[in-house]
Parts: sequence; structure tokens; C-alpha cells
Amino acid sequence: MDFDTQIKLAIYTHFAETGRRPSLEDVASRVVSDAGRVRDAYGRLRQQRVLVLESDGTTIRMAPPFSGIPTQHLVKVGGIDYFANCAWDSLGVPAALHRPAEVLSRCEQTGEPLRLEVGLDGPGPSTWLFHCLVPAAKWWEDIVFT
Amino acid sequence: MLFFRSEEQVRSWCAARGDPMRPLVRIDQLWALATTWYSTRLQADSRRPKPEEMRSIFAGLGLEGDFWDPRSDTFGRHKEGPS
Repeated sequence: MDFDTQIKLAIYTHFAETGRRPSLEDVASRVVSDAGRVRDAYGRLRQQRVLVLESDGTTIRMAPPFSGIPTQHLVKVGGIDYFANCAWDSLGVPAALHRPAEVLSRCEQTGEPLRLEVGLDGPGPSTWLFHCLVPAAKWWEDIVFT
Repeated sequence: MLFFRSEEQVRSWCAARGDPMRPLVRIDQLWALATTWYSTRLQADSRRPKPEEMRSIFAGLGLEGDFWDPRSDTFGRHKEGPS
């Protein structure tokens, strides 16, 4: 397995196990490497749209579907709380983990709470809707806004 | 990328912001998108769908048109006529 793939898996495994973003040192420790090499790999993974980094180039903002910071999209899986980047990613968390989940979010217009039980085959029937302002061709021009 | 209780709430939210309303996606469609994008994300050989794959995935869910075309550079400019 190449080094960048090891880094990617280390990041995602940390998110999956803890619900929180790993530090550069956490990832370096998992792959038994030095922080400089890990930082270089972060840059390459960013180019591949696997990661979104803060401006310091070392702090993970997003490893989709996981968010490195708290958001309005909370996903509870097996006693661990995860934050998702957006509505799409809130269903992406149980899809990535292959585990049942409880998705807690809200209606953006009214603030009405949303609670979705998600089984291994997905959520049950729901009349809630998903809406995205940004067309697909422009999602990564500003992925945080998207 | 947000949740809304109803189409009426989407319309109100867009109107208040002065933004156009975009195509709506049902929860079952969103689950299909989530599993397509993320079900292998924790595996070594995972990768994001390529643009041509994205277009096919969207079309398979009934999500068609320039809004869902990852290569479109004309979205929102149709009414201006050809340039």
C-alpha cells in the first residue's frame, strides 16, 4: 500500500474510532512516520479532494463525510458522536461505517429538529427534503460553502 | 447542502436570501447518493466518482439537467442565449 493511502486510512480510521479529527502527530504515530512526510501527503490528498485542510495546511477541516469541527449535522453511531459536513454527509457517515445511526439535524428555514433513524438499508420513509444551492460543477470551488 | 421540512420551506428560504430554488432531492435519493459516495470510503481502494460517473449516477436517480452535470459550465446562463 502506498504512503498516501496509508495516510488516508489512518485519518479515516481515527475519525471512525473517535468521532474526532486526528492531529498531524496522531496520523504520524499511526503510520510510524514523521510529521513532515505526513504534511506533504496531506497536500496531495487535498489535491485529490480526499481532505479539506484549514489554512495552516495541517489541521483537518473535512475528511468527507466526517467534519473536523462541530456542525448542525450530528450523527450518533454505537455511542460515538460524529459531525457531518452537510446533509448529504450526514447520511454518508452511516454509509461509510456500515452501521445503524441516528441523524440529528434541522430544517434550515424553521429550525424544526430532524431526527432520522438510519438502518443498514437506509432511513425509513421520510417527507423531508435535501436542497443544494451550488450546481455540481462548482461544488469544489468553495466546498465549505457548498 | 441542507435539510428542509417541505418544499414550501425551501421556497421561503431561497426567497429570503434572494437565491434561486434548485432541484429538490428526496431522502431515499440522498441515501443512494451517500452510499455511492461513501460506502467504500474506509477502504484502501476507495475513490471518488469521476465526472462522467457522477453524471451517470445522478441520471440513474432521476437527477438530470445542467445543475447535476459536473462538467457543465453553462448552468444558469441558458436564458441569455448562446454566447
